Amino acid sequence: MSTATVGVPFSISRLLIVAGNTFLEAVRQKLFNFLLLLAIGLVASAQFFQEFNFGSSELKFISDFGFGAMVFFGSTLTIAATAQLFFSEIENRTALTILAKPIWRTEFIFGKFVGVFAVVGVFCALTTLLLVGLLYHRENAIMALHPDAFEHGRVIHYGDLLVMGVLQWLKFGVLAAITLFIASFSNTNLYTVVMSFFMLVICHLQYLAHDAYAQVASLPLRLLVRVLSYIFPNFQLFNLTDQIGIGAGLDSGLVLRVAGYAAIYIAVFGGLAVYSFRSREI
Amino acid sequence: MTNPTPPVAIEIRDLTKDFPLTLRGIKLRAVDNLTLSVPEGQVFGLMGPNGSGKSTTIKIILGLLDPTVGECKVFGVPSGRVDSRLNVGYLPEAPYFYRYLSGTELVRFYGRICGVPRKRLDDRVKEVIDWVGLSGAAHRRVGTYSKGMLQRIGLAQALVHDPRLIILDEPTAGVDPVGSAEISELILKLKTQGKTVLITSHLLAQIEDVCDRVAILDKGKLILEGNMNDLVGQRGRQALIVDPLTPDQLAELRVWLKERGHALDSVEQPRARLDQLFLSRVSRAPKGENK
Repeated sequence: MSTATVGVPFSISRLLIVAGNTFLEAVRQKLFNFLLLLAIGLVASAQFFQEFNFGSSELKFISDFGFGAMVFFGSTLTIAATAQLFFSEIENRTALTILAKPIWRTEFIFGKFVGVFAVVGVFCALTTLLLVGLLYHRENAIMALHPDAFEHGRVIHYGDLLVMGVLQWLKFGVLAAITLFIASFSNTNLYTVVMSFFMLVICHLQYLAHDAYAQVASLPLRLLVRVLSYIFPNFQLFNLTDQIGIGAGLDSGLVLRVAGYAAIYIAVFGGLAVYSFRSREI
Repeated sequence: MTNPTPPVAIEIRDLTKDFPLTLRGIKLRAVDNLTLSVPEGQVFGLMGPNGSGKSTTIKIILGLLDPTVGECKVFGVPSGRVDSRLNVGYLPEAPYFYRYLSGTELVRFYGRICGVPRKRLDDRVKEVIDWVGLSGAAHRRVGTYSKGMLQRIGLAQALVHDPRLIILDEPTAGVDPVGSAEISELILKLKTQGKTVLITSHLLAQIEDVCDRVAILDKGKLILEGNMNDLVGQRGRQALIVDPLTPDQLAELRVWLKERGHALDSVEQPRARLDQLFLSRVSRAPKGENK
């Protein structure tokens, strides 16, 4: 307020203001509501599988189906929302007005990331809670029909389901950071979306190439594949559905390692996005 | 005793900005070796045809672009630094704001970004919205605003942190003459508050009305700079406006002037300016109404 010029330190407060605005913009867009409703509809439709009535396997199926829907729609939402919320600022030139204020570009980029991460968090929370409720309801029904199959108590580890929801959220966080990095140097929304989906596929399938080449390829190729496996995060690590539900339960050490893995990739891709965006001419 | 140098809000020295056009190194020179000073407390007009480098210069002042060569300082701070923007408000050309926010929410958002203390924020937001005449529409979504209202809410967000320098890039683009005149009035009010205003506009009459000093750019180069009165005033000449004279009276006047060594160069009917005529006839909507 008309004071002498002083240095402007990095501010979490400003970052959160940008994040809050990004969140508000996202939830007021039809795309978010559409995908959320679609995902909720798909997860809810899993209750119709009760016709199968194949006991505990049915619960596992519902769980896998529910998380499958979450992953599909969550990935779509993450890429579409990140690209759209970034390019709406550039194309509508609102970025000009914000960046002409005393704000660091780092705060702007991470604010965008936190806003999208919050949106995806709401999506994951709602779909996970719905899935938990659905499984609980179905498990009660099956317990009443087949009490002998549940003589040791409930078979679903509901806490693990929540943890699984958090891990999916973290995976979407990595995907959002990757999308933001691509957006930071890309000229169009479409290019960003296409490249991000391409990255999504690579990250889901990179373990196949890694496993295959690790067995047969020459040393230089093995090294190349190893380097690539560090560059592209392995999204299969987040898929712990085999260990939840009826299994022995999640290994908390593994969960923490996967969470740390996600945090590192978010920091790296977020840092790359900032580096790229700092030199971008608006 | 020498006059002290007036404080400078913007200082640009030997500034050149090139944009690469192709991978083979062909570049477009948008600003070419520009040296310019904007004194504090003045309204400074930056003029030039499209593509003359005005907007590029403004973006460099705001730190949105880096100069290829040269330097630009705002209140003595290099424009690439974040703290150079602490005392700057900016209204971009044809502003587009977050459509889903109300006018109040929008100005509040920018106020928080600029670090206006929470205790003062609500009062300050109300104050600037009143000041730009949008209090009646403050709670409406920005998406429903007309162009003139967008310019005014844009001005409010530029002023919310009470900056010393306000940069207005084509503030009247697409605005009707009534809205344009109101923006001119606001600029003059800013001047009375001691603010420095840098304005670009294609409305030369508006520039002439509000600016103390102007610079004209063409193809990125500064081709003319000076005080408005020095540039457009005709020194050593006077105009007299009188009631209509008969031909005989006019002849007598010519003789009278000739006897005293003067000449009557032209006799013409004074004309009102079209914008003034328009404004005198068109009713202005109350503050906050859609225009």
